[in-house]
Order: sequence, then C-alpha cells, then structure tokens
Amino acid sequence: MSDLLNAHLTSPFVAQFIGELLPALETPSRSPQRSSPVPSVSVLHSLGSLLCAPNRSPPSSPLRSLGSMSSWRTLLLRVGDKCPEYGGAVDHKEHIETCYGVLWREFEHSKDEISECAEQLPHKIPFYGVLVGLINLEDEDFGKNIVDDLHCKLQEALSSENCDKIRILLRFLTVLMCSKVILPSSVIEVFETLLSSAATIIDEDAGNPSWQPCADFYITCILSCLPWGGTELIEQVPDEFDRVIVGIQSYLSIRKHSQDTSFIVFEADEDKSAKEKDFVEDLWDHIQILSTNGWKVDSVPRPHLSFEEQLVSGKSYNLSPISCPKQSASSSRSTISRERENYEAKLKYPQRLCRLHIFPSNKIEKMQPIDRFIVEEYLLDVLLFFNGCRKECASYMASLPVPFRYEYLMAETIFSQIMFLPQPPFKPIYYALVIIDLCKALPGAFPAVVAGAVRSLFNRIGDLDMECRTRLILWFSHHLSNFQYFWPWEEWAHVKDLPRWAPQRVFVQEVLEREVRLSYWDKIKQSIENAPELEELLPPKSVSNFRYNSEEDHGYTLSKEFREMVRGRKTAREITSWVEETIIQIHSSKFAIEVVIQTLLDIGSKSFTHLITVLERYGQVIAKLCTDQNMQVLLIDEVSSYWKNNTQMTAIAIDRMMGYRIISNLAIVSWVFSLSNIEQFHVSDRPWEILRNAINKTYNRIADLRKEIQTLKKSVLLAEDVAVKALKEFEAAETRLEVVDGQPVQAEKPGRLKRLKGYAEKAKDDEIAVREALEAKDALLARALEENKSLFVSLYKSFANVLTERLPPVSADGAFPKLRDEEDIDSMAIDLEEPSTMEMDHDNGRKDDRNSEKVTHRYSIKEQDQWCLCTLGYVKAFSRQYATEIWPHLETLEAVFGRDIHPLFRKAVFAGLCRSTTEM
Amino acid sequence: MASLFKVAGFGDPAKLSVYRDKRFRGNQEEYERALQASTTVYIGNMSFYTTEEQVYELFSRAGEIKKIIMGLDKNTKTPCGFCFVLYYSREDTEDAVKYISGTMLDDRPIRVDFDWGFEEGRQWGRGRSGGQVRDEYRTDYDPDILLLVQRELEAQRELVDYGEGALGAFQPPTQYGKHGVYGDSHRHGRDYRKRYREDEQSASEMSRRTSSYESRRNSEHDLRPEKNPRFRESGDSDDEDEDDRKRCR
Repeated sequence: MSDLLNAHLTSPFVAQFIGELLPALETPSRSPQRSSPVPSVSVLHSLGSLLCAPNRSPPSSPLRSLGSMSSWRTLLLRVGDKCPEYGGAVDHKEHIETCYGVLWREFEHSKDEISECAEQLPHKIPFYGVLVGLINLEDEDFGKNIVDDLHCKLQEALSSENCDKIRILLRFLTVLMCSKVILPSSVIEVFETLLSSAATIIDEDAGNPSWQPCADFYITCILSCLPWGGTELIEQVPDEFDRVIVGIQSYLSIRKHSQDTSFIVFEADEDKSAKEKDFVEDLWDHIQILSTNGWKVDSVPRPHLSFEEQLVSGKSYNLSPISCPKQSASSSRSTISRERENYEAKLKYPQRLCRLHIFPSNKIEKMQPIDRFIVEEYLLDVLLFFNGCRKECASYMASLPVPFRYEYLMAETIFSQIMFLPQPPFKPIYYALVIIDLCKALPGAFPAVVAGAVRSLFNRIGDLDMECRTRLILWFSHHLSNFQYFWPWEEWAHVKDLPRWAPQRVFVQEVLEREVRLSYWDKIKQSIENAPELEELLPPKSVSNFRYNSEEDHGYTLSKEFREMVRGRKTAREITSWVEETIIQIHSSKFAIEVVIQTLLDIGSKSFTHLITVLERYGQVIAKLCTDQNMQVLLIDEVSSYWKNNTQMTAIAIDRMMGYRIISNLAIVSWVFSLSNIEQFHVSDRPWEILRNAINKTYNRIADLRKEIQTLKKSVLLAEDVAVKALKEFEAAETRLEVVDGQPVQAEKPGRLKRLKGYAEKAKDDEIAVREALEAKDALLARALEENKSLFVSLYKSFANVLTERLPPVSADGAFPKLRDEEDIDSMAIDLEEPSTMEMDHDNGRKDDRNSEKVTHRYSIKEQDQWCLCTLGYVKAFSRQYATEIWPHLETLEAVFGRDIHPLFRKAVFAGLCRSTTEM
Repeated sequence: MASLFKVAGFGDPAKLSVYRDKRFRGNQEEYERALQASTTVYIGNMSFYTTEEQVYELFSRAGEIKKIIMGLDKNTKTPCGFCFVLYYSREDTEDAVKYISGTMLDDRPIRVDFDWGFEEGRQWGRGRSGGQVRDEYRTDYDPDILLLVQRELEAQRELVDYGEGALGAFQPPTQYGKHGVYGDSHRHGRDYRKRYREDEQSASEMSRRTSSYESRRNSEHDLRPEKNPRFRESGDSDDEDEDDRKRCR
C-alpha cells in the first residue's frame, strides 16, 4: 500500500513505539452520554500488554525511546487523540495550539511528515490541514511546498490509478482550502477536470463506456470531498460550485445504473438490485440531503473554524492543473471483449464498500446517512493503514472522532469486508483478528454486537452467497476458538430436526467440523453440552479406517508384507517391482492400489509430516501404479475411504498428492463429480473443499510462475545492460590507438584487453543464461495456462452435466424455474424486523420451542431444489473467484455453455464473470 | 524515506526479531536479510498436545503450507511446545506473523515470528531436560503446562509420539531429512545436541551414523549448553539468561 507502512509490514513489532503511546487512547470529542463503548484505559492497556507480551522489552514508560519530552513527531501523530501527550485534553483547539507550538520551530523538516500523517491517518486530515495553514502564516514557502508536493502526488496517483491515494489526497486538498492554503478556484478546477474526464469516459463516441467504473470513481471522489469543504466552497465560489453540482447531475443522468449481481452477498437481493439505487446514486442522495441541511456533518471535525481569524491572512496557492489518464477508446470490438474490459475496469476501480445490512433498522445507530458514509470511510481507512498493527488498529477503530456510537455500524462494516466479493482487500483472517481485538477492547459492547450479527446472518444463511457462507464458517469457527468455544448452541439446537440439506443445519455442522479441526473432538463435544441434540452433527471422531485389520481381510498379508518392506527401508524401485510381481500380476491393478494406498496412508497416518514423508519416499510407487486418470480416480477413492472419518486428512492427502503430481487436477475434478460426491454437494463441504484446493493450487502455480517471470524479466534487462556496457568498454579499449613510430598501434595493454574481453564474454553468457531461464519459465507458464484451460473446461462440463440432469425444466413460456420459494424470502425479511433473539432469555424453553417451530415450518425447500441452489451457488462462486483466469478462455468455454444449456446454469456463470445477462 | 513512522519505530529491521538465533551462521545484517526473505515462521508457546493438523488448519488460513516441523523433546520424541511452518510465498508468511501471532491455538496464546529458515536439528528442544528452554526456566504458574496440570480433557488426549511406529524405522529423504524428523530409538544424554548439517553420509548407513553421533557428542561435550532467549518473557530473571541476552544484542 504505502511505502512507509510497507516497510514495517515485515515486522511483528510494527508500531511498537506508537503502541507504547497508545494504551491511554480514548475517544476525543465524545459526547457525554456515550459511555460503555469507550475503551477504558485499563482495557486498552491490558489489550496492549496482551498483544505485545511476547515482544515486550523490559517494562518501559511511554516515550522512553524519545527522551524526556514528547517530540514534535509524537505530537503530530497523536494530535486529535485523547492521550497523555496532550495531557488527556480533548479540546481540538488546544491540541492544535500545543502541536503547533513545537512544530513551527521544526517546520523545515516537518513538511514530509505532515503530508504522511495526512495520507495515513486520513480521519485526522482536518487537524493536519490547520497545522499546515498555521505554519503557512510563518513561512509562505512552506504552504507552497505542501501544495506543489500534493500536486505531484495527486498526478502520480491518478496516472498509476491508485484509488486510495487519489481519494485521500483529494480530501487533503479540500481541507487545505478550508485552511486557506489552497485557493477555492483550484479545488473547483480539480473537480471539473475529474468531472469532464468522467463525462468523456461514458460518452459512446469520445470515450469508452466500459470504463464507467473509473468515471463513477471520479464522481464518488468529488462527492466524498464535500462533507469536508462543501460549506466553504458554497460561500466562496458559489457559482463555480453550482456548475460542478449541475455537472454531476448531468453525469448521473447519462451513466448506466450499475447492477453487479456478481458481487451481491445475499442472493435474494439480486432482483432488488435493479430497482435499488447503486452506490453512486446513493451517495448523491446523501449529498443532496446534506446540502439542504446546511452541510452540517457530525462526523467531520472542523478545527479550522477556531483559527479562522488567523488563517484568513495566509497566502493561498493555486494547484497546477492535473490530468486524468485517458482510457483507451472502444473500437468496434466484440461484446465479449467489451465486457471483459468492463470487468477489468471494475477490478481496477472497485466499489469500496458493498453495504451489508445485517441488523434491523431499529438496532443500528441512528445517524444521518452521510455520517454513516463517513464513518464507513474512517473505518475502512483504519483497516487499510493499520493492517499489521493490531493495537493501533483496534484502538483507532474503537475511538473515531465522532460524537455518536457506532458499534453496530462497525460490525456491519467489518462483516461487509469479510464477505466482500470477489475478494476482500485483505485475507479474511485479518478481519477475524480485528474482531477478536475489538471484542477485547470493548468487552461491554462489541461481543454482543458480533453475536447479534452472527444470529442475523444465520437466519439468512440460505440466502447467503456460497463463497460468503464458507468465509463465515471459517471466520466463526476461528472466532470461537479464541473465546473458549463458548456459544449459546442451545439457540440453534433445533437445526437437528431440519432436513440434512437445510442450509442452517449444514452451517452448524460445518462450524463444528472446523472447530474440531482447530481443537479436538472431546473439547468441542463438551462445548455443546447445552445442546446435546447437536452431537449428531459433530463429525465422526477422527480415526482412520484401515481396511486390513484381521487376517481374514483380503489383502491383510500383502499389506503386512508391504509394511515390513517399508520398515526394512526398501527403495521405491524395489517396492514397485514387488507390487508388479506380487499383486498386479496375481490380482489386479485396482487391488494393488487398494493395498498400496491403504498401507502407505496407514504408515503415514500419525501426522501431516508422517504423511508427506511417506509420499516423498514412496510417491513414485503410487505414481507408477496410477498413470492414467481413471486409476487416479480410484486412488482418490481409496484415500477418501481410508480417511472417511476425517475430512481434513482426506483433503490434505489429496492436496499433497496433487502437489507431488501423483494425481492431476483433472482427476480430482472427475472424482469430485462422481456420484457419491454429487450426493454430498448440498449436505457437506467435503467435496467442495477438495475441489477448491485443487483449483487453488493450480492457480497458485500460475501465480508463482508469473511472479518468477516478472523477476526474471527484470534480471534480463539488468543483464542486457551489463553486457552492453562491458562490450562497449572492450570495444572502446580495442579501438584505442596510439601512434608509435608513425604507425598506429593498440594503446591498451594486451592484458587489460584480454580481461575486458573476458568480462564482455562473461556478461554476454550471463545474459544468455537469464534469457534461457526466462524462456524456460515462459514455456512452463504456457503449459500451466493450458492445464488451467483444460481444468476449467472440465469443471464447466462436469457442472453442466450434473445440473442439466437435475435442474427443473424451463416452462413453456420461457420463464425460469423458481428454486427458491418467494414467500420464504419474504418471511425471512420479516424476521429481521423482529427483535433479535439476542435479547431473549435463553433459558426460556418456550421461546426456543417457538423458534424451532418457526424455523422448521419455514424451511420448505425440497432436497432437489436445495441441491440445485447450492451447486449453482458454487458455479457462481468459482466463476467469480477465477474470473480473470477464465475470461481469456471464454470463447472456448462458450462452446461448453452453448445455447441449449440450462438458463439457470448460464445465469450463474454469467453472474460470476460479471457478464451482463441482458442478451439472455 | 525519512519517515515519521520509521522514526517512531516502524519498519526498523533491528526489530524484525528480538530473538537472535545463535545457530545462525552469519552476522546481524545477514540474519536480518534472512528474516526479511524468509518463508518460515516459528510458532511458540504451543500446548504439547497441539497436533500438526491443528496447526495446519489455523495456519493454512494465511496461505498454502509447504511443511510443518514439530519441535520435539529430544528425549521423549514428543512435541514440546514449538514448531516451524514453511509457506510457499513470502506474503503468506508475513500474513501469518501479522494475523496469527498473539491469538489462540488450542486455548493458548501462541506467538508467531519470522524464522531464518529451518534446518536439520532445529526441531529438537534445546533445554537441558530435552524440552524447550522456556519451560525449564518458567517461574510463573501456567495452568496449561503439561507437567503442572491434569486437566480432565487434556488427560484424554494423546501426545503424538514421533519416535515410534512404522516411521521410526525409516528416515525421511533429503531436505531436512537425512537424519529424520522423527528421531530414532537412541536416547541421548542431556547435553546432547544435534549438529550434523555438514554430515553428508547417506541415510541408510545407520551404523556409521550411530558412531558418528557418539564422536560428535563427545567433541561437543564441554560446550556451553545452549539456551534460547526467544522464550523469555520480561520479568523472568535468571543469571544465565541475562548473560545470554547480552550476548545476543
């Protein structure tokens, strides 16, 4: 992300310094009525020591490393926070004065630091703006430098399409205008540049409407600045400001409503999205309301007002003009290539937030919609910039400078990131950590909010995108593992009376499965002792299922003999010939697989390492046995049978075998789509986990190769450079002549010439070697991409086959069959408005009864329909996750999708790839 | 970049790890470079009962795992509270450190650090009794620690014995393998340490190896027993350890 944060990402001790400063952090400018969510000093302190315990250097007082006095740097960082550096004061004016008091003497050095703070603590930009304004009064060059610097960075961010940077720098720009460092006309000019670029992009003739996401982003940027400087702009440049507003209005009237069913978390919202306002339209509404409210925003501090008298005499500067990168114009290309371009634009200019409405409206904090938007921005920025700094992240999240409570909003925002499609900005485990830390930082408030979110998501689980369901299961099990696995399971005990395929039941079962993996069976059994009914949803106690336990078992003797050979350290080759002679020739290859796999897995059954050791040593024996796909499928069957009671080991064993290239990804796909697995699709994650791993591993191989090729390309350039230089040096020396006795002779000594020649030759050799390495990798990549293509062809074919057999037919009038009961969705929506069960007394059996009755009654989807919903959900999820890899092969795949393919399958694929479904 | 955050202690390579593994051959700079490029993490403060599969489940959430090497008590050949996880990518390695350190695994707050890279021999606990040094010097009461409690459930769990069974009889191939992750049937004295990285003999030459063990054992016999300040918590005090700390600064 940013250089300076990047630098410390490698360190677990990041921000230890800031960390030491933070324990006393509290919310500044907090209204008196707010009490519980404020992280108390002691809580944050204990949080701090918990997080840092292993790394803690000898107990130290804050600031020790800075010497006796809080340095100007510290004060700059901490401005606006309630903290000891400012004596716990909360008055913004006082903060700024104190900070300015030490800063003005250092202003020559502080320019970069102020800019950096503004860029990485964007919720405190107003403070940094005022500080710049005040220093500008002392030294006009300072203001000018800041403005010029801002111009450079903004231009660079626009050119490199760095969305976060553009957004934040524009906010800084607006705030500098409020502090009289930048002329209002300059801000208008920037807005107009963005606006005209946006208008051009969506123009069919002059621009390229595929890039609307970029245009939308520019408009969002302008609108997002207004809460920080709308008042000032309307006061100082009313006509120009109006012009911008009119421009935005006309842009909004031309642009297309964006409806990405691909990125919608709740499937039932798909149909709504066409009617509902999209993100830009929504923000525009909020801004309009704001303008009628006199631009009053609670969530934006306006410290410049306290310094207005001074600031007004400052010299304001023009910002030099900026330019937006030109998006390539659309030529008359195929629909597919235009759609692909649009897809790439969406990835490059993603919508920052897909709001997840988890809580009923009576739960979520009351605030103006624009305040909601701003708090979301604050939270996302803290998550972005404090990734890797646990303490800082939690304390800034918990103590934003806003005068209202926002725990529910905070939970919704974090969950929206966990569920963000196609990929969250960070790995989901990051958000798990943030939630854990916030639960510890705000023990009185946050855990209950998280529990409420879980309940609400659980109620709508059948409606949740399949990918999001998996993420939720992984997050929830991990979360519980950090809180002694405590959960009021009795609330959900009723799911055991639901059919096996009911999404709520599957959810509970999969959470328990993951809990057992993170812990152990007995522990998890104990954790559900309040809901003994749920025991039947626990996975089997994981014991291996070895086939040859008694002498009567066919194969017992062979297996025993095999084991002895392993114990006797026979080589893979020796064993291979033994298998050939003793099993294959007498029995069959299939039987050989059975004996070999059962025995090797049993030898390697003790641990992950035991398994890979066996595979490293005797993988060749298996590989020789299973040269074709059919044999590999039998092999996977055998693995699955040996580990039938342990999904994790099944998945790991298959994954490793693919890693050692004993089995191919195609064999795995083929196995996953075998009948016994297909029957599991809607009742278990087991086949899906194995399929996910296989695709993921294939993808990772490609990603690794791409990275290596990137590096090699750089090395080639470097080597080329060296070779050219060395050659030049040699040639220059060779041609250098001097006149001796009237004759031109070589000026250089032969020794030096020889050496230079040697260098030049070696450099050339090196260059050739790197080039060859690059070519080799390129060839590998080409092969990997080919493999990937066959993988997806095979995957889609398999999906098409199983779905075509099972999807209900399209009715005569062409209407798509409805798998989901419409009433079902409605009733779920109504449930959300009911008071959350969170407030119910859990010991009250009557309520539990009512609950279960309600749920059983409500769940009415037939098995076949649920199977279809689930499988279609995975079609969409896989297509979406690997869309960038699938797009290049789309024409090949079109053949698989074909025209006569079931429209619901087609719809799922299209949705996953973000293709418009209008042509259907 | 002269950065405010850097001055504030961000991104200071000296802080990559407070712990300096004395087995690392090379200077501080090389050590830091190794840490910065490493795709190995060290995990400490684990329960003895925690299995590789539990580690796998948690750590695979940061990325695809290449290997897990369980730290073993060199006498009992059972886990002794630490392990190494090897990833394929650096990014995943960083994420494991960032997101998992300080969280719970098996009801214990584990710590995760960059490690300069596993090599043969490092799986053995370096404490004199065979386990981790930290456990020997531990002064604070830890209700979870193996020898101090008999929690009802824990008592039912089985320690994975890496020294017995079919695998004990053969050594894994190459990599960290010549001498086996699993140990063997030899029981060694308390000052015994494994250091065979330059040993090129083939894995099958069991008898020669045994004698080689013995000779090395003798030659290293009077070396100072190694200790591992990584496991120290501030507040513990121990003269020997103070000495150790000075030496690694």
